[in-house]
Amino acid sequence: MRRLVVRRLLLMVPTLLVVSVLIFLMAEIVPGDVGRSILGPYASPEQVAALNHKLGADRPLVERYVRWLGGFVTGDWGESPILQAPVTRVTFESLVNSLLLAAIALVVIVPTSIVLGVLAALRRDSLLDRFISVTSLSLTVIPEFVSGVILLVLFAVVLPWFPVTASAPPGADLLTRIYHLILPAVPLMFVEMGYIARMARAGTLEVLDMPYVRTAVLKGLPQRRVVTRHVLRNGLLSTVTVVGAQVGWLVGGLVVVEKLFNYPGIGRLMAQAATLHDVKVLEATVLVVAAIYMLSNLTADVVVAALSPRVRLGG
Amino acid sequence: MEQASPPVGLPAETVVSEQALRRRYVVRKLLRSPTFLVGLAILLFWIFMALFSTYVTRYGPFAIDPYNTLTGPSAQHWFGTDDSGRDVLSRTLAGARPVLEVAPLATLLALLAGTTIGLTAGYYRGIVDEVLMRAVDVLLAIPVVIAGIVIVSGLGASLAVIILVIAILFTPPVSRTVRSAVLAEREREYVQAARLRGESGLFIMAAEILPNCLPPIIVEGSVRLGYAVFTSATLSFLGFGLQPPSPDWGLTISQQSQNIQVAWWTVIFPAVALATLVVGANLVADGLRRTLSE
Repeated sequence: MRRLVVRRLLLMVPTLLVVSVLIFLMAEIVPGDVGRSILGPYASPEQVAALNHKLGADRPLVERYVRWLGGFVTGDWGESPILQAPVTRVTFESLVNSLLLAAIALVVIVPTSIVLGVLAALRRDSLLDRFISVTSLSLTVIPEFVSGVILLVLFAVVLPWFPVTASAPPGADLLTRIYHLILPAVPLMFVEMGYIARMARAGTLEVLDMPYVRTAVLKGLPQRRVVTRHVLRNGLLSTVTVVGAQVGWLVGGLVVVEKLFNYPGIGRLMAQAATLHDVKVLEATVLVVAAIYMLSNLTADVVVAALSPRVRLGG
Repeated sequence: MEQASPPVGLPAETVVSEQALRRRYVVRKLLRSPTFLVGLAILLFWIFMALFSTYVTRYGPFAIDPYNTLTGPSAQHWFGTDDSGRDVLSRTLAGARPVLEVAPLATLLALLAGTTIGLTAGYYRGIVDEVLMRAVDVLLAIPVVIAGIVIVSGLGASLAVIILVIAILFTPPVSRTVRSAVLAEREREYVQAARLRGESGLFIMAAEILPNCLPPIIVEGSVRLGYAVFTSATLSFLGFGLQPPSPDWGLTISQQSQNIQVAWWTVIFPAVALATLVVGANLVADGLRRTLSE
C-alpha cells in the first residue's frame, strides 16, 4: 500500500514536468507576446521589443525555461508582468476562492447523488429509476455555462432571488459570500451529480445480486439494515473512485462558471493568463490544478483500498 | 460494459449470415427504443438546420439592424434581436452549423487515432503498450478544458485547430477503450488460428480483431460525439473557439451574457438549442450502448 502511494507520488513529478514543458512550448508559438499584451495594439514594435527585453522574454527558450523552473521549484514563482503582482499570491488567493465554490458544490453533490443512485438501484426499472437515470444523464451532459445562463435568467433576472454576480461586496461575511455562490454552484452540481449517481446505481445493483445480500435478506434482517450494513459498504467503492476523478471535471467547470458569474477564482485567472500569454501565471495555475487533480485521484484510490478488504489484503 | 460476443470458430458463410442477422436484430431493436429515436430526431433536426437554416429563416444570421437592437420577441422577430439588431431566431438556427462541423470531425479523427493506438498497444503488448499508455496518462493528467485552453491559446483559434485539439484530447480515452476490447479478443481461438496461418500483425489487427471490437468502438464514438459538442461549445464560450461574428452558440452566449439583465432572449435561445443538441447526442449514445452491449 505504502509502496503504491510512493510510486504514484513519484510518477507525478515527471508528469508535471512534461506538462510544464508543454505549456512553455505553447506559449512560445503564440502569435502575440507578453510585451504586446501589456502595451496594447498601439505601441510601436520598438517599445514592445524594449519591454520584452526588460522582462527577459527575448532570451532563448531553454534558458528561460530552466530559469523559470529553478525559481518554481525553490518556491520563487516570480512576478506577473501583466497583473503586476507576485504569482504565488494571485494563484493562492484565487485558489482559496475557487475552493470555497467547489466545497459548496461538493457538499451538496456527494450525498444527494449517492442517495439518488442508491434509490434508483433499489427500485430498479421502476418509473422512478428511469426518471432519475434520464434526468441525471441529461443534466450531466449539458455544459455548465448553458445551465448557468438558464438559471441566471430564471432566478436572477425573471425572479430576482439571487445576485447575478458571484462576488460578494468586499468585507462581506461568510454567509453573504455563500449566498452569492449558491447559483454558480448549481451548474457544477448538475454536471457532477449524474456521473456519481450513475456509479452509485451501478455499484449498488452489482452488490444487490450477490449471494451474501440474499443471505442477509433471507436471515430476515430489515431492508434498511441490509442496505446500510451490507450493500452500501461494497456498492459505493467505485463511487469513491469517481468522486476523486470528478474533481478534475469540477476544475474544468470552475473555469466556465467563474467566467459566467464573474468570480475571481483560479479558473478565471487561468483563462485570463492564457488569453494574455502570461506564462508564469498560466504555469502556476495549471500545475497547481493538475497536482490537485492527481492527488485527489490518488486519495480516492487510497480510500477505496482502505474500505475494501479485497483490495487491502490483495495489494 | 460488456461487449457482444461474436460468433467464433464457425465456417465463414455461417459467420456472415449470423452477423447479418445480428445487425438486423440490432437495427430493429434500436428502432423500438424511444430514447434512441428521440435523440435521433433531435440530431436530424439540427443537422437539417446546419445545412439549410438560411432557407427557412426570414433574416440572415449576420444581417444587422442598428434601429432594432435588443428588442424583445415579437411577430417580426420571434426570438427578439441581439445587441447588433440581428435576428436571434436566425442566429440560433444557424448556430448548429459550426458545432456540427467541429464535433463530428473531431470525433472521427479521435476514433481513427485512438483505434490505431489501442489496437497496436493491445495487440503487441510489451514495450509498445507501456510507452503508448504512459503517453496517454500524461494527456489525461490535465482536465480536458484546461488542456484545450492552453493549446488553443498557443496555436490560435481557427476551425482546423479546434477540431485538431478536441481530436487530440479525445484520443487517450478512445485508445483505452479499444485497448481493453483488444485485450479481451487477442487470446481467442480465431486470432491464434490467424497467427498460425502466418498472417501479418497488421492483417490480424485490421481484418480479424477490429471487426469484433466494433460494438464498443461505436458506443465510444457516440459518447465522444456528445463530449465533443460539450467541449467545443465550452471552448467557444471561453473565447478559445470560433470568433465573432460566427453564430456559434457558445460564442453567442458569452458575447450576449452582458445583456442578460435587459435582454434574456439573446442568451436563453442559444442555450436551449445547445442543451437539446447535447442531450440528443447522448440519448443516441445511450440507446446504442444499451442495444450493442447486450
